[in-house]
Amino acid sequence: MRRIFVISPALTVAIFILGAPLFAHHGTGVAYQEDKWLTVKGTVTEWIWSNPHCGILFDVTDEQGNVAHWGAELGNPHQLSAAGFSKDVLKPGDKVTVTGHPSRSGAPRIQFHHMLLSDGRTLTIGGVKGNGEKADTEY
Amino acid sequence: MWNRFLNSTLLLAAFLEFSYIALAQTYGTPGYSPGAWKPDELPKELSQPKPFNARELSGVWSTPTTPGYFERHSLDDKWIETTDKKVPPQMRSNTSPPPMTEWGKAKFEANKVSYGPRAIEPELNNDPVSQCEPLGYPRDLWEANLRPFEFIQTPNRVLQHMQYHDTWRTIWTDGRALPKDPDPAWYGYSIGRWEGDTFVVESVGFDDRTWLDHFGNPHSDQMRLVERYRRIDKDILKLDMTLTDPKAYTKPWVADTITFVNPKVAIFEEICSPSEEHRFNDAIRDESKAKSKP
Repeated sequence: MRRIFVISPALTVAIFILGAPLFAHHGTGVAYQEDKWLTVKGTVTEWIWSNPHCGILFDVTDEQGNVAHWGAELGNPHQLSAAGFSKDVLKPGDKVTVTGHPSRSGAPRIQFHHMLLSDGRTLTIGGVKGNGEKADTEY
Repeated sequence: MWNRFLNSTLLLAAFLEFSYIALAQTYGTPGYSPGAWKPDELPKELSQPKPFNARELSGVWSTPTTPGYFERHSLDDKWIETTDKKVPPQMRSNTSPPPMTEWGKAKFEANKVSYGPRAIEPELNNDPVSQCEPLGYPRDLWEANLRPFEFIQTPNRVLQHMQYHDTWRTIWTDGRALPKDPDPAWYGYSIGRWEGDTFVVESVGFDDRTWLDHFGNPHSDQMRLVERYRRIDKDILKLDMTLTDPKAYTKPWVADTITFVNPKVAIFEEICSPSEEHRFNDAIRDESKAKSKP
């Protein structure tokens, strides 16, 4: 059974075209629906801080107690450092709310755009240049 | 309910746009290195204006266009769409590769890509970058839309340090000629000379396993590159490039003029780690094709 976990109908699968640029790495346009948005809330199991791509593995539990293993795809540490991320920004057990583009296949994978941390901070890759522009991570 | 949906959507769109605008206002701290030195940890003289010398190329360079939906189209200073998003007319490529030879066509067809109109699933491509294989030149240069490169000028060489994959290219300026029958090299063999204020670089001896770009345009070991760099201002560098490769293309490929600017950041270590890429693919990327598991 295919399950989609949502936290807000208004923020979920909102379809719009933005002028803000996103990261593009190989195959993202093939694997993800870049014109659709999805928000999922879960608990971090692993923060993959690696070159050339980073990722978040996190578990999402639905109202019936079923657990799905999700993964979020991010850019490289250079781009993420410029956006205020670091190798210590997440650790297993952290609560996180991730927003991004859903996979085309329906698999529990998401192309990361921004996340809400349990301490109230939001980190985004939206609009971050890879050439070292400093990201404004608070808004 | 609909109004709540609309309001939330507009609010989200607004803060995403705001974050983009805010970024533009924080652009450019000389020597800034994300993840390492913060602006207040750098020598103050870095931010002092320096005299401009047209025959001094040393410095960090990057393309001024914000990357995002669009990827540099090879030798053109334009972009093509990589997804179903629309490219603004002013950014569309006006030129395209010259006609390929039969050898070139066969190699192009054999190159399975995950970018552009021929994109297939990432796990099915044979793009060297997917295995952290060498990008070679000039492909590594196109990555300057995302990552800067650095020129380091010495008395007998100009070194080109590419941030992406952390690679070096040596351009000899000691008067030597190009090698006559070189063994292939990922980044070829290069010599440079000044013609007035134009730095002219000629290169041969490229390994034909690399691609020209991530759209799979090929080149052969017969490829010859001529690059003409002009530093027209303190923070602006222009490049005109001509590629001649009779084994792959029926006529020379003359690029649009490419503009680089000084992004006022330091080069960042960005090594492509094969083991880390495989780990990422196993855990995240390849699973994106899998169906939801119970």
